[in-house]
Amino acid sequence: MMLFQDELFWKSLWVTIRYALVSVPIVLVVGVLLALLLNINVKGIAIFRTIFYLPSIVPMVATTSIFMWILNPQVGLVNRVLALFHIDGPGWLTDPKWTLWSLVFMAIWGAGGSMVIYLAGLKDIPQYLYEAATLDGAGVIKKTRMITLPMLTPVIFFNLVMGVIGTFQYFTQAFMISKGSGGPEDSTLFYALYMFQRSWKYMDMGYGSAMAWALFVIIVILTFLIFQSQKRWVHYGG
Amino acid sequence: MAANPTFDRENSSKVIVIRSILAVLAITATWFLMSAKMPDANIPGRTKVVFWHRWGGEWEVVVKRIVSRFNESQTEYEVVPMFTTGTGSETKFMLSTIGGDPPDVMSMWNGAIPSIASGGLLTDLETLMTPEEKEYFNRVPYQAIRESGQFKGVTYGITIGADLMGYYVNAKHLREVGADPDKPPKTFEELVALGTKLNIKDSSGNIKRMGFNVNELMTQAYAWGPGFYNKESKTLTMNTPSNLAALTALVEQKKGVGFDQAQRFWASQNTGSSTGAWPFIPGAVSIAYDGQWRVEEIRKYNPGMDYRVWPLIPPKDGKPYAGSLGGNFMIIPTSAKQKKGAFEFVKFWSGLTHPERAAEFYCWGGWLPLSPDVANSPKYQEYLRTNPQFKTFVDTLGGDNCHPYPNVGFLQYYLDQVNRAEDQSSRGSVTPKQALINLDQTVNDELRKRKELGFED
Repeated sequence: MMLFQDELFWKSLWVTIRYALVSVPIVLVVGVLLALLLNINVKGIAIFRTIFYLPSIVPMVATTSIFMWILNPQVGLVNRVLALFHIDGPGWLTDPKWTLWSLVFMAIWGAGGSMVIYLAGLKDIPQYLYEAATLDGAGVIKKTRMITLPMLTPVIFFNLVMGVIGTFQYFTQAFMISKGSGGPEDSTLFYALYMFQRSWKYMDMGYGSAMAWALFVIIVILTFLIFQSQKRWVHYGG
Repeated sequence: MAANPTFDRENSSKVIVIRSILAVLAITATWFLMSAKMPDANIPGRTKVVFWHRWGGEWEVVVKRIVSRFNESQTEYEVVPMFTTGTGSETKFMLSTIGGDPPDVMSMWNGAIPSIASGGLLTDLETLMTPEEKEYFNRVPYQAIRESGQFKGVTYGITIGADLMGYYVNAKHLREVGADPDKPPKTFEELVALGTKLNIKDSSGNIKRMGFNVNELMTQAYAWGPGFYNKESKTLTMNTPSNLAALTALVEQKKGVGFDQAQRFWASQNTGSSTGAWPFIPGAVSIAYDGQWRVEEIRKYNPGMDYRVWPLIPPKDGKPYAGSLGGNFMIIPTSAKQKKGAFEFVKFWSGLTHPERAAEFYCWGGWLPLSPDVANSPKYQEYLRTNPQFKTFVDTLGGDNCHPYPNVGFLQYYLDQVNRAEDQSSRGSVTPKQALINLDQTVNDELRKRKELGFED
């Protein structure tokens, strides 16, 4: 009961849900688009695939450190580039209005991980479906909409489930950019970070355990709901 | 069915490969487990005392030097030092204690002592003292230092390096704007005005040189009044007129500089502790609010620097030489195997016995002394003569307005909430008054919950 009366518990839950609502769909779309692009047979495609996949295997701590400098409001690369166009770049990691978008930006950087899974899914789509569609006069867009995306939905479903679970365990980036505080103004106080603070910073293990159980229940419910929804949009044909 | 020789050969090769992999894994795991155990004593016949500390890099050299001195002075014990990173050191201590393999003694940030002590994991150090040592301990050491290691009146930590904050002043910058570095401003308002003169901005409005910037409401509040804890009534005091005046002054100072510009400036600086890249040293900040350990860093990285250290500047009719004391304190877990040996080491380093000998160790690290006995010893006085700016911190330590952190079991939570109130009001999200009202409500809610659960009296 004490958990539900805690303002910061609800705040951390909202920060996490908000991030999940924004980042999961964006990373999903970027991952699919990248996979579609890297499924085209052009010379040196293996090199392109490697380049896009590489960021996802760089340790998260190293990636976050680099992004902290790229997004530095005064000397960072992003604001320096914006300054060339006479745009006064925001405080990406110091202004609470921008922290969410900075973290989403960092998530897109790692979209190569899901891209590889989509690519495997694309390779699994039977060629005869495209041949039949070509005979029926379907163009590229129609083939993508009517064949590729429906046949890819089991992979999208998998990445969606994993993405949602991943966001509820989101910790490293938030811990690093806020130095463990969840700031500025609680804008990076993710659920896992608050759970860590309660358990290990305030030494309140009972509270941390209660939060872990609540997290387990939330993830089970969300996964169940996504599984329930699959009847409407996931196609296991082919 | 006839045996298939090709299949058998392939199968046999697979088994060999799998067994080889398992053997390699087993050897690796054994090596890892062996290397992860506590370090061994090196001197035959001595009882090993494991000491965990949080000083890395060049500070570790000092720690090893002190440990060597102790080991040389001993016939019974050998202290074996082990560095553990500062981040998460409480966690490591807790896990090792719960897991049954704790260090015998550890240097810990005093802010963590209440929460660890309230879990029943720390030894009451007075139970290890002789009656004479107990009498000396309760009479001689600086009051703020003694109380910083206590929780609910029980001594769980003894300092080996207390910390206080002050203002580091770049004398050259001050002269540039016509100010005298040897005449500190009389009031906080004058200090803010001086800081404004020292600011340098570029054509885009970005701060190139920060004149003066201040934070840490919890500490600053002691210059305005009784601060955030009433020692007599043992109650938390948050929404009080003096705290409101302190918070308002800090917020107004930040507004004057420009909160966003200040954030951008600090984001571009290396503000980590124990580094020669501290922005004050290259002149990026004219008046820096920082701890006494920077004196030693300036001596190492820019020995010729012309600077002064001022104490916290109070407002008009405020309290001079204010401060809240933090730092490294020696703790001994309840489950330590060598409590006696551990306490011998604590006494040796802290100066609880032979303060004149311990003075040398404090000088090596540039640390604040345990007691006036250490401070008045010839070696420490010599250190103050060669590092005159350090004296400001010693004077603050001996003054009436130097306080320990609030003596509550959820100190870290309390500190975080006070910082949160300061941050929110500095950003203009809430007024200082509203920030203190919210703080009062949040902290008292937490306190009520803890009382219901039996964590607080």
